[in-house]
Amino acid sequence: MRIGVLLAAVALAASACSVQGGSADKSAAAAGYPNKPVEFTVPTDPGGSTDLLTRALAKSIEQPLGVKAVVVNKPGANGKIAGKDVFGSKPDGYRVAVMPQSLFAIGPLMLNDADPVKLTDMTFIKGLAVEDYVLVVPADSKYRTLKDLAGASDVKYGTTGPGTGSQLSQTLLFGLAKTKAAPVPFDGGAPTVTAVLGGKVDAASVQIAEAYKQVQAGKLRALAVFADKRIEAMPDVPTAKESGYDVVVDQRRFIAGPAGLPAEVRDKLAAAVDKAVASPEYNEVLKANYIGRWDADGDAVGTQLNESLKRFEKLAQDLGIDLKAQQ
Amino acid sequence: MDFLSPVIAGFGVVFQPENLFYCLLGVTLGMLVGVLPGLGPAATIAVLLPITYNIEPTAAIIMLAGIFYGAQYGGTITSVLLRLPGEASSVVTAIDGHELARQGRAGSALGIAAIGSFIGGTVAVIGLTFVAPLVAGFALDFGPSEYTALALLGILLITTLGTGSPLKSILMATVGLLLATVGQDPLEGASRLTFGVDQLLDGIDFVIVAMGLFGVGEILYNLESLRRPAAPAAAVGSVYPSRAELGQSKGAITRGSVLGFLLGILPGGGATMSSMVAYAVEKRASKEPDRFGKGAIEGVAGPETANNAAATSSFIPLLTLGIPANATMAIMFGALLIQGIAPGPMLVEEKPDLFWGVVNSMYVGNLLLLAMSMPLIGVFVRILRVRAAILAPLTILVTMIGVYTVRMSVFDMFLMVGLGVLGYLMKKVGFEPGPLVLAFVLGGLLESSFRRSMRIFGGDLTGFLTQPITATLLGVIVLIVLAPPALRLSRRNRQKVKA
Amino acid sequence: MTSAEAPVPEPAQVPPAYARRLNVVAALVPLASGVVAAIMSVNLGIGTLPAPGPGMWPLIVSVAMVVAAAVLVLQSRPRGDEERFTKDVVVVAIAAASLVAYAFLFELVGFEVPTVALLVLWLKGLGRESWRLTAVVSIVATAALYLLFITALGVSLPHIIAL
Repeated sequence: MRIGVLLAAVALAASACSVQGGSADKSAAAAGYPNKPVEFTVPTDPGGSTDLLTRALAKSIEQPLGVKAVVVNKPGANGKIAGKDVFGSKPDGYRVAVMPQSLFAIGPLMLNDADPVKLTDMTFIKGLAVEDYVLVVPADSKYRTLKDLAGASDVKYGTTGPGTGSQLSQTLLFGLAKTKAAPVPFDGGAPTVTAVLGGKVDAASVQIAEAYKQVQAGKLRALAVFADKRIEAMPDVPTAKESGYDVVVDQRRFIAGPAGLPAEVRDKLAAAVDKAVASPEYNEVLKANYIGRWDADGDAVGTQLNESLKRFEKLAQDLGIDLKAQQ
Repeated sequence: MDFLSPVIAGFGVVFQPENLFYCLLGVTLGMLVGVLPGLGPAATIAVLLPITYNIEPTAAIIMLAGIFYGAQYGGTITSVLLRLPGEASSVVTAIDGHELARQGRAGSALGIAAIGSFIGGTVAVIGLTFVAPLVAGFALDFGPSEYTALALLGILLITTLGTGSPLKSILMATVGLLLATVGQDPLEGASRLTFGVDQLLDGIDFVIVAMGLFGVGEILYNLESLRRPAAPAAAVGSVYPSRAELGQSKGAITRGSVLGFLLGILPGGGATMSSMVAYAVEKRASKEPDRFGKGAIEGVAGPETANNAAATSSFIPLLTLGIPANATMAIMFGALLIQGIAPGPMLVEEKPDLFWGVVNSMYVGNLLLLAMSMPLIGVFVRILRVRAAILAPLTILVTMIGVYTVRMSVFDMFLMVGLGVLGYLMKKVGFEPGPLVLAFVLGGLLESSFRRSMRIFGGDLTGFLTQPITATLLGVIVLIVLAPPALRLSRRNRQKVKA
Repeated sequence: MTSAEAPVPEPAQVPPAYARRLNVVAALVPLASGVVAAIMSVNLGIGTLPAPGPGMWPLIVSVAMVVAAAVLVLQSRPRGDEERFTKDVVVVAIAAASLVAYAFLFELVGFEVPTVALLVLWLKGLGRESWRLTAVVSIVATAALYLLFITALGVSLPHIIAL
């Protein structure tokens, strides 16, 4: 009896009010978007560069958007958890997610996943950032150049995890050089850098910000960057391409909503993001983390993801490397 | 006195009114979130980060640091009063601390924990001031093989923690290890034992396991007696520890400070290991090991001192090497970056004011925490006077919401209720959750370190013996396993000789 | 303070045969789970010692679990820490079910209504408190949780009341 009354009350409350916050914002999209807080889901734990980037973005986007912006962390499975959740929700523009390129361009090549987040699950809103990878060795390492390392007989290299750009860049590099090399996957950038500093592995490919200070302090030596051309933060470090190994791998971040987002909503969000990424706070975070801006509109994001996937796939095929076996 | 002048200048920085204010704000916030289950210091600092954009860097970092070590104080309170360990490092505190609370000695337990925390924290700051550059390398010496040996040692200690049969502890530890394997394989990304549930891909969060087995399990268990005529409530005794209890804890606090300081330097799991090792050491050092698990004050003093010392010394790798040792330190790293300061090997030289300002603020912060927590103990202990029928639903709500905030996931709430039922059943048949939860924490470290080591050694098990630290730790393990039977044997021999 | 041994409610005496049965069941459950986990681990791929597959470690752990549980099945004599399952189990089951329902409704209708409902159920239904106290505690507690998590800490809990 009491339960019946209770259920009735619950049903009443549910029909009368809309639920805000949390992760199931399922209220109807009203005309005049936006008229309530927009939620930005970050697919990582608090504190990493993606999280900081999104928080700076959310702070700067409140003014152009005219409503509050809330940041929610849903870490897990390189973004899959957040992606599944946000892109499975209603396409009303109140829930968007920051996604990494690696989930779509590297994960499918290296991991077996029967139920991945697909490109068609998303409406791309805007590109945000691009981060490069640098190959480092301990300062007292006998390997002074990329050629030395590639010519070594037995290399143990650290990666920041399975299905990451760190793993892919080195797999391709040592594959091209035909070096006998074994990967040792760590859980993220910091433990990987620690292992290189302690000489537990011979080399590792990590994002610039993770190694920059150590390189500057002379504790690590940077052998190569996996970028198209030399990068501003480390102008003296050659690209892998210059050393004869055409490996270009980067990590990109973009912002996307569920598939089927109305065009006006998407344009409004994109315009607001444009204004937010011009803010000093946002650029401060980019600068501090040696992250580059990625000014791509929604369609260009989709094209980039597809191209990266095809390029990596072809590279691996040409080399005859089975990426799924290379972990 | 070249070395000391920036240190002293650092005190000048701390005693600026603005910095003192942020230090107080930080430790108060830290204590608050430490009390709330689920919401840890890492999440709090992340939420507060945007606010710090507008604060002067030193003040901002002083505040964030205060949140971190303040939370260690707060975590003890729920562990002792409600058997709700919010952090891995306070799991062992729940064992004897809650037992003490049931005997009406909650005030003593909390008092000793506060004093121990203060001493441990202060000793670690002194260590940080004088020997940080010397011991920082310790963090780098620990690679996969060393962690394998350390985790093995930890698991060995776990099986000695319980009060019941060692076999039951071992069984619980294996359950914990198995639960830790749920999720993506740490090296290859294959999903294991997830039954196709995406939410399990990243494994089960520690908070869910600890809250479910300890907190929810305990509440469900107590519901049974809710309808029986109320058992006479344990009288809440003195709010402060007696002189005798202080005397009993002296050794524990001393050992805890040193252990905590050293283990805290290790990135990943340092604080948890330190509290476990401290507990095990106290149990072994004690003349009456049987009291442990039944309300031994040293079982609170040792681990609580150690986890605070470890929290402080975990700043060493961040400030001197630029390596974040745990999730919270990773966020501090981010906070420093936002302020335009890249933590790294050159921080002391580049920003002496910031470095010493932050380090010295920890003396003040620890003092503030002690001054705040001693009078508050009286308030907290009063929680125990609330009728169980009222306290139970309130506790369970905070726990449910707290678990939700960890990953904003309803699935985690279901999982915790399930583990709560398991905890209830375990209690009915005499299994203890402690070994399970601790093995769960160490399981991930053990497996991934072991497999990384195997890759580094090319599959050669003897590789472990070629590493000096690893070999030493393995030697300690062999000693612990062989010592008791060997001692028994020699005693028997001696008796034979006498006879 | 020095009276360390405070009165702890003694659980009802458990007959030895009952306790033994309980111990056997309590050991058989992990034994069976261990066997299932071992089979699942083997299916994951064990690999070799130099190159362990994803299943090797779970297999080692589940075999250890099965062995420990098997020994416990054999040593099922009562130890004194077993407790009888009485009809109070029903209370526990209701409580657990209410928590499941709470989690289920949490994101669907916001946290406020389920929170009040849960408190009413536990305070009045399980705890037999007075209506007056039930009403006051449920509403004040819900408001306090709102203020603490949403207003003060800025955590994004699902909610229907906007302040």
